[in-house]
Amino acid sequence: MGPLTYFGEISTEWNYVIAIFIGMAFGYIMEASGFSSSRKLIGVFYGYDFAVIRVFITATLVAIIGLLYMGYFGWIDYSVLFVHPTFIFSATIGGVIMGFGFIIGGFCPGTSLCALAIGKIDGWVFTVALFVGIFIYSLVFPFIEPYYNMGDMGHITISEYLNISNAWFTFWFALISVAIFYVTSVIRKKVKEVRY
Amino acid sequence: MSKRYILLAIVLIGSAFGLVVLPNKHDTNQIPAEEFLIDIYNPARFLSTHQVAKRLIERDPSIFLVDVRTPSEFEEYSIPGAFNIPLENLLEEEWADYLSQDGVDVVLFSNGDIYADQAWTLIAQQGTKNLYIMKGGVNQWFSTIIQPVEPPETAPSEAFDLYAFEKAASIYFGGSSANVESATTTPTKKTVVVRKKKKKAAEGGC
Amino acid sequence: MSFWKENKKHVYWNPYFGGFMLGLLLIATFYITGRGLGATGATKSAVITTVKTIDHDYAQHSAYYSKFHLDEGRNPMNNWLVFETIGMIAGAFLSGALSGRVKFRIQHPPHIASNKRLIYASIGGLLFGFGSQFARGCTSGAALSGSAVLSLGGFITMAAIFGTAYIVAYFFRKIWIN
Repeated sequence: MGPLTYFGEISTEWNYVIAIFIGMAFGYIMEASGFSSSRKLIGVFYGYDFAVIRVFITATLVAIIGLLYMGYFGWIDYSVLFVHPTFIFSATIGGVIMGFGFIIGGFCPGTSLCALAIGKIDGWVFTVALFVGIFIYSLVFPFIEPYYNMGDMGHITISEYLNISNAWFTFWFALISVAIFYVTSVIRKKVKEVRY
Repeated sequence: MSKRYILLAIVLIGSAFGLVVLPNKHDTNQIPAEEFLIDIYNPARFLSTHQVAKRLIERDPSIFLVDVRTPSEFEEYSIPGAFNIPLENLLEEEWADYLSQDGVDVVLFSNGDIYADQAWTLIAQQGTKNLYIMKGGVNQWFSTIIQPVEPPETAPSEAFDLYAFEKAASIYFGGSSANVESATTTPTKKTVVVRKKKKKAAEGGC
Repeated sequence: MSFWKENKKHVYWNPYFGGFMLGLLLIATFYITGRGLGATGATKSAVITTVKTIDHDYAQHSAYYSKFHLDEGRNPMNNWLVFETIGMIAGAFLSGALSGRVKFRIQHPPHIASNKRLIYASIGGLLFGFGSQFARGCTSGAALSGSAVLSLGGFITMAAIFGTAYIVAYFFRKIWIN
């Protein structure tokens, strides 16, 4: 039963080896989906390429559904999976800052690493700036720490918050996603093609 | 929009809907009723006061005594080394690690058998292993270990062996038959070290 | 056929296939490690290591760096995410190399000079670095991996990133389209 490292079935050393292979698969999939190109990524906001949202939502859905089924059949202990903690304020404001970073810089951290790997100078610059951004954050951290810890809701899931079952949430999310896929494909046909 | 995308969308929504219509799973934390019934009828869930006393005298580290009576009763008298978790607080989260320990036999007791048995039922239902009841509870403990009764002379020799053990145990637990007063002194509090089970996986990333 | 060859560098996976593969990878990652993927975690470790090397005392007493228990002699680079990130760069290179996309260049829209593109990229990187630390994770760590286990924070971060970018896209359109 998974997670394997949690139940001590994999030693720390192997864990690092596995980390490299998982990372390789992650990088390969992102690059092959075209995430190393900022112009392709940004297309989602101007309607000429919706690859980002399609990959992103499909991946989320596949993972949610797959993990729920695995939990149901007892192949994985769903209760010990790491649920990203919710801090309402920092999640929102941090997301807004990242939204600006995305539209101006054209990358997010993972995709900039992919761009860097295939020799894109803008990817290198973005990644170096990422380091500087984190460094600046560490300098101002004492001043913003109260805001960082504001609105702590713990390891809460969205279905707990909405007070519906995981299954129903997933079902509605799948319906909405298919609607998004359809609408984006309609928009895509109406927007002037951008060659890049 | 091609047919294959429609097909894929149907597969996606179908598998999501499949989660909704899956029959409610038996809570994995609870063991099935049939299995549970067998456990209830299994006399091995009882330990005699002698067995408990013997293991305490031997300072067996793999025994953990839980007194499920009220705190006031616990203050008045309890078995040395026992840990007090009142029955009403038994299911509180903070005690979960105490009541389910790998490689440690958790022994429940109350004044008689009834409350200890109720406690046993509550905890065993969660699928906890190594869970026992001290048969007869504190009352039995008093009449066998603290104030043992000498068997009649006609009794078989085993009874005398047992009595010899009881006498020795009585002295060990500070309540020789001659001195009842000292038996009702406050129990020695044992500092309990419980290996906490890991609750959350390692801190997430990014 | 020559047309095909010429355009091969733009032939990416079908996004739904890519998403499906990424979803499977997320499941595998959760199955093996119990948590999701990440991208800024390694960058953070690298920053911590750098600061520690330059000024160890500062690193130990600063409110931010002291969170990482540097005094216990732990090496922040010995981190699952650091190894994952090394793999990520290798994997992306592999994919790019197989499709003939590896080349030193600055990708920019035709009407934007390349040095301008680099300035924008650096501003974006700064914001993203700052924001990802404040939100406890970036697009992969918080939004993608968080949503995979239905974390409320993951969905909020995902909505905040994409929502903001959509809202402000109009004002930054000059950077990307004519």
